[in-house]
Amino acid sequence: MQKLGDFKLPQFFNYPPYFTLQPVKDTREKQIQLWKELILDYCRTQKIFVVELEKDLPLFTNPTIERSLTHEAKDAFLSALVSDGRAEWMDKSHRKCLILWHRIQDWAELILRYVRDNGLEDSVMTLEEICLGTESRGTELHGMDRTVLMRALKLLEHKGKLAIFKGTSTDDEGVKFSV
Amino acid sequence: MGNIFVKKPKITDVDRAILSLKTQRRKLAQYQQQLDAVINAEKQAAKDLLREKKKERALLALKKKKVQEELLKQVDTWLINVEQQLADIELTSKQKAVFESLKTGNNAIKAIQSEINLEDVQKLMDDTAEAKAYQDEINEILGEKLSAEDEEEILAEFENLESEMSLQELPEVPAKAPTSEDLEENLDLPDVPTKAPVPLDVVETKARDASSAGIYSAEKVMEEPLPA
Repeated sequence: MQKLGDFKLPQFFNYPPYFTLQPVKDTREKQIQLWKELILDYCRTQKIFVVELEKDLPLFTNPTIERSLTHEAKDAFLSALVSDGRAEWMDKSHRKCLILWHRIQDWAELILRYVRDNGLEDSVMTLEEICLGTESRGTELHGMDRTVLMRALKLLEHKGKLAIFKGTSTDDEGVKFSV
Repeated sequence: MGNIFVKKPKITDVDRAILSLKTQRRKLAQYQQQLDAVINAEKQAAKDLLREKKKERALLALKKKKVQEELLKQVDTWLINVEQQLADIELTSKQKAVFESLKTGNNAIKAIQSEINLEDVQKLMDDTAEAKAYQDEINEILGEKLSAEDEEEILAEFENLESEMSLQELPEVPAKAPTSEDLEENLDLPDVPTKAPVPLDVVETKARDASSAGIYSAEKVMEEPLPA
């Protein structure tokens, strides 16, 4: 099995046909399915949150067979992810895509679990702390995208599990938990 | 979607203080990294300058590096202070929470206790003791009465038993009435005499004369000695 960094690539990655968008409906669907899973897996392991179609993602190119996905193909796969609810277009022109290999709901639950495990109920944390602090190292929350984090926190705020606030102008944004 | 009145945790001043401190901590850490970078750059610059044989410039670079290093130490101390204060705030707020819950507990006890008057309790215990004593007395009295009654019953039963038992020991009542033959056989009466009784001296004289000779002679014998 080929590897892309640490990531193990599935077999189909080496078949040239998979890099061209198939015209036949059935094969195309199968192809889309495979690529969807691949994209999600890759982003999960590499902690990639945003895929820019203009830029080159190593995933979309296989140098050994000298094939890479066309813009159209990428668009097709990502749109499929969006309709699945596992991704969101960040702009209307489909240039950037936010990949949600965890759904926002899943992220919210991860945050709650983290809070419970570390006894952080009724305590205050800054957003930076959650993403980059020493305490979140080793958990899924580390290196989280700010946008995704904000979305998840807003969801939890709506449920009443926490409150987002800002102190003085120089302070970071903070969250107070009351799980 | 969802509730409008979902309770969000309230943000107090303490929370804002904590937020400030945490922000400061992060900023200080960032500053430290910055200083580190500068120090390394200056070290590198000094090396390069030395290589170029620009001794004074190298010395200057080293001096700058030293200044940065001092700053770094200073920032370290500040960072420790900030962390210390964060810990203190946390501890104090936990203390306050403990105190509050103890106070609530204390109030709860007082409220419950106020419902029970000490005098009432004493009175209740006394009443209970009285009732118990009264009950014991009744039991005693009832106890005596009962044994007296019992005795009478027992005696009555006893007599009943006795009469029963004696009835059982009497002979059987004969089956028929006794006849006249039975009666006569049992009588041994003497016969009625056949002649009247004769006077008794005639008979006796005859009987005497018959025997007087003998007796006379005996008397004569006896009389002879007498005339002397």
